[in-house]
Amino acid sequence: MSTDGPSQGANSAPSGGSAAAKPQAWGDHASNDGPPRGANSAPAGGSAAAKPQARGNDASAGPMPTPRSYLDDGFSLWSWFSSVDHKRIAILYAVSITLFFFTGGVAATLIRLELITPAGDFVSAETYNKLFTMHGVIMVWFFLIPSIPSTFGNFLVPLMIGARDLAFPKLNLLSWYLYIAGGLFTVGALIAGGVDTGWTFYTPFSTMFSNTHVIAAVTGVFVVGFSSILTGLNFIVTIHKMRAPGMTWFRLPLFIWAMYATSIIFVLATPVLAITLFLLAIERFAGVGVFDPALGGDPLLFQHLFWFYSHPAVYVMILPAMGVASEIITCYARKDIFAYRSMAFAVLAIAIIGFLVWGHHMFVSGQSIYAGMVFSILTFLVAIPSAIKVFNWTATLYKGSIHFDAPMLYLLGFVGLFTIGGMTGLFLASLALDVHLHDTYFVIAHFHYIMVGGSVMAFLGAVHFWWPKITGRMYSDRWARFAAIIVFVGFNLTFFPQFLLGYLGMPRRYHEYPPEFQVLNVLSSAGASVLAVGYLLPLFYLFWSLKYGPRAGSNPWRATGLEWQTPSPPPVENFAAIPVVTAPPYQYSAMEIAPQPPRSRSAPAPRERGEGPGEGIPGKDAV
Amino acid sequence: MTQAVIVARQFDDAEQQRKASDLGMWVFLATEVLFFGGLFTAYIATRLHDPQAFAIASRLTNVTLGSINTGVLLTSSLMMALAVRATKLGSGRAALGFLCATAVLGVAFLGIKFTEYVLDYHDHLVPILDFSHPGPHAGGVENFFYLYFFMTGLHSIHMIVGIVVVTVLAVMTARRRFTPDYFTPVELGGLYWHLVDIVWIFLYPLLYLVSRT
Amino acid sequence: MIAHPVATLRSYVLVWVALIGLLLITLGSAYVPLGPMNSAVNLAIAAIKALLVAFFFMHLRSAHYMLRIAAAAGFLWLAILIGLSLTDFAVRY
Repeated sequence: MSTDGPSQGANSAPSGGSAAAKPQAWGDHASNDGPPRGANSAPAGGSAAAKPQARGNDASAGPMPTPRSYLDDGFSLWSWFSSVDHKRIAILYAVSITLFFFTGGVAATLIRLELITPAGDFVSAETYNKLFTMHGVIMVWFFLIPSIPSTFGNFLVPLMIGARDLAFPKLNLLSWYLYIAGGLFTVGALIAGGVDTGWTFYTPFSTMFSNTHVIAAVTGVFVVGFSSILTGLNFIVTIHKMRAPGMTWFRLPLFIWAMYATSIIFVLATPVLAITLFLLAIERFAGVGVFDPALGGDPLLFQHLFWFYSHPAVYVMILPAMGVASEIITCYARKDIFAYRSMAFAVLAIAIIGFLVWGHHMFVSGQSIYAGMVFSILTFLVAIPSAIKVFNWTATLYKGSIHFDAPMLYLLGFVGLFTIGGMTGLFLASLALDVHLHDTYFVIAHFHYIMVGGSVMAFLGAVHFWWPKITGRMYSDRWARFAAIIVFVGFNLTFFPQFLLGYLGMPRRYHEYPPEFQVLNVLSSAGASVLAVGYLLPLFYLFWSLKYGPRAGSNPWRATGLEWQTPSPPPVENFAAIPVVTAPPYQYSAMEIAPQPPRSRSAPAPRERGEGPGEGIPGKDAV
Repeated sequence: MTQAVIVARQFDDAEQQRKASDLGMWVFLATEVLFFGGLFTAYIATRLHDPQAFAIASRLTNVTLGSINTGVLLTSSLMMALAVRATKLGSGRAALGFLCATAVLGVAFLGIKFTEYVLDYHDHLVPILDFSHPGPHAGGVENFFYLYFFMTGLHSIHMIVGIVVVTVLAVMTARRRFTPDYFTPVELGGLYWHLVDIVWIFLYPLLYLVSRT
Repeated sequence: MIAHPVATLRSYVLVWVALIGLLLITLGSAYVPLGPMNSAVNLAIAAIKALLVAFFFMHLRSAHYMLRIAAAAGFLWLAILIGLSLTDFAVRY
């Protein structure tokens, strides 16, 4: 563990305006002050002006104390709610999205309870409409879209590229407050009685005929959209301008490439959603507009504008998961990623081509058949880079030394379930098949395989993989693997029957159905109860680990990546000295020590091997 | 003695900070292009839906005031560009003058716009507020004016924000906060102002010049 | 000490003259019956004005290539939105 002085180029110029607790001496600094921090030379002691500030320390008083971890940097609520530290903001997001996830989950539970019987006997049709709407709105905008980017992206992007924070830390905090403000509007709409338009807010029902709190709900989504935009902007600038020396684009971890591609979508797609919802709200409020045929408008105009955002939005939901996959699969197969460059280009291709396919949501809406053909062909095209990634993960596993720790179980599930989800997307991309399948449970199964079987599994894998880094604690791997298996079984039991239901003709968004569909619906609801157990379990063993889990070393998984070269949990300024990068990522085959056999869970963290950063990895500071 | 630029803690040096701010601003401008872009898309679709209505409606706009306003805004852009230039050259007083001119012209733009709105109201061209139009294309004409007020209204809101920003920059310039080494806020404020100008450059022909023959 | 290159006063004023000139041309051409070409001419002139503002007033001419990419991306993506939507609107209407 490095005990080097925390200050890099800091001088005693008051920095003004940093977060409440500033125990480290690194504040804003004057530009004409010492050499830039880029070089991995002896840290800051070199600059005579770099005196640590007001903890009464001064450079002549002997070795510097161990830098405080970001968790110890202030314990008051205010220190958390005013912190511009990307790591703390990530935690703020993590707590909030978890709350929203379970709220959306309650709506799903009620939906699946209703669908146990063919009759609409549990809730009324109006209530059912509100349930699936709120499930969609909350899960899409308040859980899935921010999930990996705002938690793991925020936490890891600066660490993985060797930076001290994101480019605009205050904008980062603003992002979270916008997320919460948007969430309050939406929860407010929920409490006031809900919305029944579906998460897609199609016009003219949403503008003219719905009697529910549409404007409150779309205002919430409008506000949270700006949270996404600012996050994306922050990531783009950070990745372009703040990489550590030697961290060229093609030495970046694939998680960073995924965050970059996701951010491109954030900044280019979300503004269109914002203006569309604004138009919708005004039209509903004023009774004039361009989305209603009765007023000389066109409901398909709304759909084009809505899906121009919402299709790329689904790529926002999957690309970060793909980034996580590349990090975890390489670590637990102890192998370099297969075809790194094609993986990097594939995420960019998915992001870009993903903007060209939105009309596949509108094949049967009445859009011109010419548009349908164009969008169908483009949709087939977007499957290609996704498939390339699946092949490459498989090739990475081939002849790897595979360890079935919990993160790996989640990500193996991810690869398989994402493949099924992706392939069923091709069915839907085909114009003729879509005529039969549109608005049926086939579509629901398709997107849940990707969003839940894909993204949520990857999110859980990421939680388990980076939990030691974020919290400094190890959790029970036995319980974690058990939960992973429960999730996998529960997921498939819930959603596979839905492919069959959709093919057989059961429409979506109906609270009642013909009796011949009951068996499959009961299987699906039973699966949902298993899935719920799988999702609740981590709450227990993970929170238990916070207090009772063994302390983690800086690199318990012996992974590559700069985030593992710093203590767990990381200090406020991330690195004592900005590292210099000299090698590509995922150099597992270059590791000298033999792959570690699965540890018994009762053994303490590998302190006996020393927990210094880069232990066992050639070239301590160079990765 | 040039005073040192304050560099935020996450940056290595002033140069990195400046480059990051520039890129951040341009990425933000790209989002603004798409934000207004949704409205342009709605305009295109609605116009294709009823081109005659748009022709009739566009003739009802006040092309004199609209054209003068375009000239006012283009001139304000020149003033802003010269303000940035003067700041980079260290000419604080010239910069202050140009910034004030920018703000004044911005206010003039809004004044003319407001006058137009009032005139439109008297002509019963404001949807929601006693809109009426005789003739078969009333629905399309109302849609045109709905988009007209939405687009110019959103543009005006951006103008107000811009005027506030320019005013703040003027105050900071008067307090000598900018130097040839540190002028980033002025540069970024200028970029915002010019983007709002570019939006108007496209709004003008689409709203005022559809069918003047 | 001037660390950053600055364009001449003359160049800025010339751009302004061009912008006002183009404004007069677009206004004038609107009164010349060109049929559908009126709109095309107006939009082309608007695009030229926008490029003048972007390249000269917004300093894209001398900017780092990444800034130009960011600028271009915004307009390119808008072109995608409008273009692909037109496969529907232009055919159906």
